[in-house]
Amino acid sequence: MSGQLEQQVALILKGLSPEADHIEILDFGPIPGGFSRETFSFDAVIHISGSQERHPLILRKDPPESVAILETSRAVEHDLIEAVRRHTQIPVSESLGYEMDRSVLGEAAMILRRAAGNPLTSDLFHDGPDIEQVDDVVRHLCESLVELHQTDISMLNPDGELDDPRHVGIDASSWDRYMDTTFEYYLDHYSKINHDPMLCVVLDTFLTLRRNKPRPLPLSVIHGDFNPANFLYADGKVTALIDWENARVGDPREDLGWMMMMDDLSNTKIMHHPADEGGFLAYYNKLTGYEITEQELGYFILFGTGNIAVPINAAIKRRVDGENRELLHLYLVQSSTAALPGICGLLQYPGIPA
Amino acid sequence: MNSSPSIDQMLAGVILSIDDEILPALSNPKAQATAQMMQSLIQAVRQMLPVFEERIVNEHNDRIRMFRDTAAAIGEATGPAADRVRERAATLGTWAELHAPNDANAIIAAHTELGRAIEATFLDLDELQRAGVTSADEAVQVVRAHLGPIYLGDAQTMTVGEGMLGRG
Repeated sequence: MSGQLEQQVALILKGLSPEADHIEILDFGPIPGGFSRETFSFDAVIHISGSQERHPLILRKDPPESVAILETSRAVEHDLIEAVRRHTQIPVSESLGYEMDRSVLGEAAMILRRAAGNPLTSDLFHDGPDIEQVDDVVRHLCESLVELHQTDISMLNPDGELDDPRHVGIDASSWDRYMDTTFEYYLDHYSKINHDPMLCVVLDTFLTLRRNKPRPLPLSVIHGDFNPANFLYADGKVTALIDWENARVGDPREDLGWMMMMDDLSNTKIMHHPADEGGFLAYYNKLTGYEITEQELGYFILFGTGNIAVPINAAIKRRVDGENRELLHLYLVQSSTAALPGICGLLQYPGIPA
Repeated sequence: MNSSPSIDQMLAGVILSIDDEILPALSNPKAQATAQMMQSLIQAVRQMLPVFEERIVNEHNDRIRMFRDTAAAIGEATGPAADRVRERAATLGTWAELHAPNDANAIIAAHTELGRAIEATFLDLDELQRAGVTSADEAVQVVRAHLGPIYLGDAQTMTVGEGMLGRG
């Protein structure tokens, strides 16, 4: 199968480089980790008129439709990445193209340049080998996030594809409509995710969020999975922000809340840097003037949890209902069960530490 | 505690994934045999789980009766060995019987029905809270105080520590 996949990838690259005489695919192999896409690393050697160029590339391929957890579009992801490259200084890897016809690669897929830099961001913390770079890298990371959040939405989202990328009825015409229609999405989908009534803490979360809307902030394009594993770095700079598949128009505090939670779960210390600026949130506030509090981020941790809890628990329910044989969807019960006390803490359940 | 997916569904899922994902990728005969032994052991656990408690209780209770019946069967036999058999009947044979376990399916069904009622209660309390009924705030905390320790217990029971797959 991988041989067929390599041949098809070569054909796609030939379409992208029609002047090439011949394209070789070398060192093709899967990259482990992550559950939403199948990712492969390879080098493409492009032969043109007697010369050759070697390009380190990545193939990001959708899983089979029946077992997909996050249903996102490689075409939308490609268009966003290229808009970010054109209109901002945010470091991203060039997306060379995509193939949405499932008959070509089995499922939709996209091809990106493989970013330079260290993906092991844990090397920046806890006596890691790159600890001296941490302030500079995280400063750049924060500046990149601010640039994303302050870039005109119409520049990055000219066709409105990021207003409601899951096609679930989100209305991003204003902050209030965005929040209200997101609550409607969460609550309408509860019956599709509650494989067990013990999921009622998620229902409680949705209802509590709806009752306690925070102050509005300007909507922006958000990364949607801004976490310590989704960037690479080198020489004190971020070299690439990666995994843009969950990007959408949203509240910028969603990215900050998600990072705060994942930073804690990953035992990294992104939120503590840059130290000379008083940490990530303080520096973000300095650059934006938003004066966001940690309490607000607690709200948006729950809000972002809803965003991921709906597709994950919907996948678990499909598996419980016998729609497929995926072990991953059963395994997700274990990881989501471990997350529930944290949600209880944020909701101030009696006796549960916040 | 979470009951859906059930323990049986999770174990069946592991067996299926060994079939679908592991065995086709194994070329080493010993590894293939090991994978099939894993399937066999897991299937045995699936078959043991529904009857385990009932079987143990029944065997235990029957064992108590058996000690008494054994002593009766030796009749008037004499000597230290016979005395030891009678001694067991007089001690172990008088143990109280254990209660028959409840039907696990009935327990799960009842637990699920009350769980669905908690969902409905959250919705009703939310309606009251949005209507400005402040006592509903306290009522929500009553429900949460019931649930919180359950979620903590579930997490402690199901978390297996370092080495979990995936990065989320």
